[in-house]
Amino acid sequence: MASSNFNFINPFTFLNVQDSPGTYVGDFYTDNFEKGARAGNVILNLGPQHPSTHGVLRVLVELFGEYVLRSEPVLGYLHRMQEKMGEVKTPYQYLPNMGRVDYLNPIAWNWAFAGAVERLAGLEVPEKAEWLRVVSAELNRISSHLLWWGAFVMDLGGVTPILYAFEEREKINDILQIVTGSRLTYNYFRFGGVGQDADGRFVDLIKDFVPYMRERLKMYKALVTENIIFRRRLEGIGPMGEDICRRYGATGPIMRAAGVMCDTRRLYPYGIYDRFDYDIPTGPTDDCMGRYLVRLEEIKESLRILEQAVRDIPGGPHIVAKAPKPAYKLPAGESYFTVEGARGQVACHIISDGGKTPYRIKLRAPGFSNLSLFAEAAKGTLLADAIAILGSLDLVIPEVDR
Amino acid sequence: MSEKGDPKAREARIREALLGFGAERLTSPDPKKSGVALSAVMPGERMLEASEWLLKEGYTLLDLSTCEFQEGFLVSYHLDSFTEPFRLALRVLVKDKEKPVTPSIHPAFQGAEWHERESFDFFGVVFEGNPNLVPLLLPHDLPGPPPLRKDPKALASLDALGILGDGAAKEGGKGKEGGENGV
Repeated sequence: MASSNFNFINPFTFLNVQDSPGTYVGDFYTDNFEKGARAGNVILNLGPQHPSTHGVLRVLVELFGEYVLRSEPVLGYLHRMQEKMGEVKTPYQYLPNMGRVDYLNPIAWNWAFAGAVERLAGLEVPEKAEWLRVVSAELNRISSHLLWWGAFVMDLGGVTPILYAFEEREKINDILQIVTGSRLTYNYFRFGGVGQDADGRFVDLIKDFVPYMRERLKMYKALVTENIIFRRRLEGIGPMGEDICRRYGATGPIMRAAGVMCDTRRLYPYGIYDRFDYDIPTGPTDDCMGRYLVRLEEIKESLRILEQAVRDIPGGPHIVAKAPKPAYKLPAGESYFTVEGARGQVACHIISDGGKTPYRIKLRAPGFSNLSLFAEAAKGTLLADAIAILGSLDLVIPEVDR
Repeated sequence: MSEKGDPKAREARIREALLGFGAERLTSPDPKKSGVALSAVMPGERMLEASEWLLKEGYTLLDLSTCEFQEGFLVSYHLDSFTEPFRLALRVLVKDKEKPVTPSIHPAFQGAEWHERESFDFFGVVFEGNPNLVPLLLPHDLPGPPPLRKDPKALASLDALGILGDGAAKEGGKGKEGGENGV
């Protein structure tokens, strides 16, 4: 190494490929990434502790000045091998894991797994349970979008909005706590129904929440959406058209911002979504601003569903009378079930051989596919814009890594 | 997308195209139960061509779900168009367990890169043509065999499960002692 006294304050000098042929400073991934680097460019690790990577995502970037020439997300820091756990536990034992795959949107994952099991086993779900599922899923979608909204604005330098977002999120947590018993990693669904019925307070709180949230959305618009600095950071940044979305398998708000009306709730109706009148918002533009606006519109549509839901509450049991017991064995066969999560299409693929535990469980995380297009979308942008693009993808790393 | 109102014609066209790419065992499992409208076994070397055609048709790769059976590794590519409820499950059976190799579909669906790397991590299936086949989710120096490979005694047979057949499982598919499969 060079004998300069300043080496220790400039870590980038160590990462110059020309200086150290055959050996490397850093780790396996840095070394692998460096192979394609041009001499003189800076290679930088964003994360795994960078605040804008929300959790432990690590992105390797090759910088020329402030421009991102190349980037590669490095995953696995939160990998828990959920799919292996699914193979060694009975479906009932595995169910609580679904609250932990994506801690911001656990209801969707609850639904994906419970739905796949129910479809495979041919289980009926009572009407009241379907109602509770739709209501909890929509509340959870709003709370997930709220946290994304606050964190995204914080990535761009506005620290205040996340505090507002948390105020609303707390209200939703209060409501969901009544039925699920928890505030974060909900384990609410059961095979053939849900864990607990709703009481009058649950419905009253939703009735209060809907008009309250609508007022707050107006404030969000005045505070953030119309802010000129905010708009300049997003408009025209990171365009992701239909083509790139299709090539990478991006779904959810990213695909919808590109103008494709892809929504599992519409395309493959499940639950009782067909009873409600709601729109699928598609983006005015396919840039970061478009993705931002689509998510705010989705909050409005979820509020519309909640408003209709509390008007007409079905009676009956919240779980089917002959619900599977904990030692329940899945029949042999295969099932692929998708639901619309806050980040896109959540899917669970179960292959069962009729044994005590499933033969194979594959979880399709929307964030995984959404993040895979980052490297292409961030190519040639400014580093600060790459952060905006990363934020607009709404990543939850436990879900990406599973 | 012109035959949006005619699902029969669309299905016939996709079937015909897949047969042209050498598809075998085309079945239409009950979409309510299985979640897919059309299932087919593709020859691995024609999978890329089929993917390119499907991309032009507006399809996108949802995920790639690999599973080990007695017969080999079954790689299921789930594809969806988002315009019509017609999800596809295209399978490639990689028979050689010692050296499982199948061509990558990365040139068509770039999103496949990560899915293929994940399968490489978990099962050791090599996707030829993947531009960056290094571990994605697991440590690069993880010792031992790929973690989702099963104990040979716990392997189920594809035919007994009926996944590629008519969707209905035949009797005798219980080839596994629950909970004991190779940890």
